[in-house]
Amino acid sequence: MRWRHPVFVCLLSALALVCAAGEEAGVSVRDAWIRETPPGMSEMAGYMALRNNTSRPQVLVAASSSAFESAMIHRTIVKDGMAGMVHLSQIGLAPNANLIFAPGGYHLMLMNPKRTLRAGDSVVINLEFRGGLVLPVAFEVRK
Amino acid sequence: MNKTALKFSIMITSVTLAAILAGVWLADIDREHDSRAMLLPDKVMTLFPDPKPLTAFALTDDKNRVFGLANLKGKWSFLFFGFTHCPDICPTTLAVLARARDNIAKSIVGAENIQFVFISVDPNRDTASKLRQYVDYFDTSFLGVTGDNAQIGNLAGQLGAAYQVAIAPGMENYPVTHSMAVFLVDPRARYYAVFTPPHDAEAISKRFNVARELEAGNAT
Repeated sequence: MRWRHPVFVCLLSALALVCAAGEEAGVSVRDAWIRETPPGMSEMAGYMALRNNTSRPQVLVAASSSAFESAMIHRTIVKDGMAGMVHLSQIGLAPNANLIFAPGGYHLMLMNPKRTLRAGDSVVINLEFRGGLVLPVAFEVRK
Repeated sequence: MNKTALKFSIMITSVTLAAILAGVWLADIDREHDSRAMLLPDKVMTLFPDPKPLTAFALTDDKNRVFGLANLKGKWSFLFFGFTHCPDICPTTLAVLARARDNIAKSIVGAENIQFVFISVDPNRDTASKLRQYVDYFDTSFLGVTGDNAQIGNLAGQLGAAYQVAIAPGMENYPVTHSMAVFLVDPRARYYAVFTPPHDAEAISKRFNVARELEAGNAT
């Protein structure tokens, strides 16, 4: 039968391996973007939708990028109608759940971009998880 | 079934499962969007039955001109307190206000008798030229204003806008907290209404247009 052709089986196996690798990575990221800032501003915010694909908790412990002097996990908190930011040393992702970084909530605080970033640019930020997993994610700069 | 066929069916099952999982995830994301949309409050704007007249204050605008009570008279003013070294809430809010202004400008009455004022609570870092550059990015008609702490406190106090600047010696990135509300002052310089977050351009412009019509009706 044609389906059992060795080449086809190899291709399918390779596909299965790629899927397996993704599953092992455990965390996927969608819709990663950085808000473009007015000229001369040294602070930018990065947003994304994280997904823990595993049945175990995952912990984001750091972010780093060669495009910025520093990257930190921040959360905007509102207390008595006042907004402020807190720095988080880590953030947990529940098993098989989404964690959304969005305006007014969790965000990556990106300090001192090494070059001016404009809408349409793309920069890579490495997301570091407990256990050693490092996920390089392309963030798109948007208005 | 021979070994290869078994392998093949396992693979097909895995791929199908992966597709189903992806579908479930996408549906999740959609649900989140839906619930966020429903979370937008109907109470976008709180109107005061008896608007309080503001009293004198003295701030400085982004061209180093005095900005005081007289500058609030004769037009509607949207006031928002923040600071330029603010990566999340301030740009989000100013972008919403820029879209709200666009909507108002497209309405029958237009946007000629309204102004949007960004009041920096961080005069230490926000100079006039920096403020000008900052607000220009969102809308060239926006005005940037700041002043000494006593005068910022004077206006903020009249509007019930809380803020805190935790400057420490030698600290470059000190924490600043500030009210998220957008304050509406009427052409008689009275504190007329407050918009509470989460801010939405459509909701703000629609309610403002209604309020303005209401006042125009009252005046005649």
